[in-house]
Amino acid sequence: MSDNEMSRRKFLVAGIGVISGTIALGVGGAALTSIGAPAVTNKREGKWVEACNCADLKPGEFNQLSITYDAKDGWLDGKIKQLVYVKMNGEEILALSATCAHLGCNVNYDEQTGGFKCPCHSGAYDATGKNISGPPPRPLARLEAKVEDGKLKINTAIKEA
Amino acid sequence: MFARIAEALDSRFKFKDDFKKNVLDHPVPPRVNFTFCFGGITFLLYILLAVTGITMLFFYVPSVDHAFTTVEYITFDLPAGNLVRAIHHWSANLMIVFIFVHMLRVYVYGAYKNPRELNWITGVLLFGIVLGFGFTGYLLPWDQKAYWATRVGVLMPESLPLVGSFVTKFLMGGDNIGALTLSRFFALHVAVLPIITAVFLVGHFLMIRKLGIARPL
Repeated sequence: MSDNEMSRRKFLVAGIGVISGTIALGVGGAALTSIGAPAVTNKREGKWVEACNCADLKPGEFNQLSITYDAKDGWLDGKIKQLVYVKMNGEEILALSATCAHLGCNVNYDEQTGGFKCPCHSGAYDATGKNISGPPPRPLARLEAKVEDGKLKINTAIKEA
Repeated sequence: MFARIAEALDSRFKFKDDFKKNVLDHPVPPRVNFTFCFGGITFLLYILLAVTGITMLFFYVPSVDHAFTTVEYITFDLPAGNLVRAIHHWSANLMIVFIFVHMLRVYVYGAYKNPRELNWITGVLLFGIVLGFGFTGYLLPWDQKAYWATRVGVLMPESLPLVGSFVTKFLMGGDNIGALTLSRFFALHVAVLPIITAVFLVGHFLMIRKLGIARPL
C-alpha cells in the first residue's frame, strides 16, 4: 500500500516536472529564438552598386566617390551613404572604404603623402590603405570593384581588412 | 556539475526541504478537485504573457510611424516572432476566460466569505486590471481594428456625468486618438499595469497562503 502511494506521488511529481518543463522550454525557446535571431538574420549584405562612369575618373590617382544604396535595417528600409576612394591603373582597380578603421570617421586624401589622414584622431594610412600611424588598428577596408559597360561598380561587402 | 551546485546551495539554505514542505507536501483540504486549478492556470498565463510581452518589447516601437511596421516585422519576418505573438494573443484571451471560471468556482463554493473577503476584493480589482491590459494592449498594433475599437472604448466614459469628457480626454491624451494615445496606452500596458498587478497578486497569494484554501463543499 505504502509502496503504491509512493509511486503514485512520484508519478505526479514527475508529471508536474514534465509539464512545467515543456511549457518553459516551448515559450522560453520561442522567446530566445526571437531575441537571438537578429544576430544572424539582420545581415548587411554586400551588393553591387553603380558608382560612376569610368570616363569621369582621373586615371592613376585617387578619386573620391560617394555611393548610396538601399539597406534593410530590421523593419526599416533605409539608405546607406558611403564614401569610397577609387584608383584605376588600367585594368587594376583599387577601391578603399573611406571609413576609418579606428572609430569610423571619413578619412581625407592627403596630397602631401599620397595617403589618407583621418580628421578625428590623426590616424594615417599610406596609398595602399595600410595604417601607418595613429590609433587605427588595421588598414582601410578594401572593396571589390569592377567595370561593366563603361561604368564602375562597387560591391558594398568588405573584401579584406 | 548542476547536481554539485544544487547540493552546495542546499547544504546552506535547505531549499529542498522548503520546496517539499511548501509546494509538494503542502496540505490541502480533502476532496479538492481540478476546478481549484483555475486560479493557478490564470497565473501561469500571466507568466506566459510577461515572457512573450518582454520578448516583443525587444522589437516593438510605440510610435504611430513604426508601431504597425514593427508588429508586421514581428509577425512575418522575425524567426519565431509569429509564435511569440500568437502565444501572447491566446494567453490574453484565455486569461479572461480562466479568471471568469476561477471567480465562478469561488462564488459557487462560497469561498469568498469570511475570512477571505479581501481575497475576493483583490481578485475583483485584478480582474479589472486585466481588462485594462486587454484594452490598452488592443491599440498597440495600430491597425484599423485597434484604432476603431479604442475609439469606441475611450468614448464610453464620455457619458459619465461631470467627469466624463475629462476621462475621455485623459485616456486619449487630448482631443483625438493619435501619437499621445498610443504612447500612454503603451506605458500603461508594459509598465504601470504590470506593477499594480504584481502588487495585488502578492497580496492575493500571501492571504491564501496564510488562510489556506476554503474547504470544498
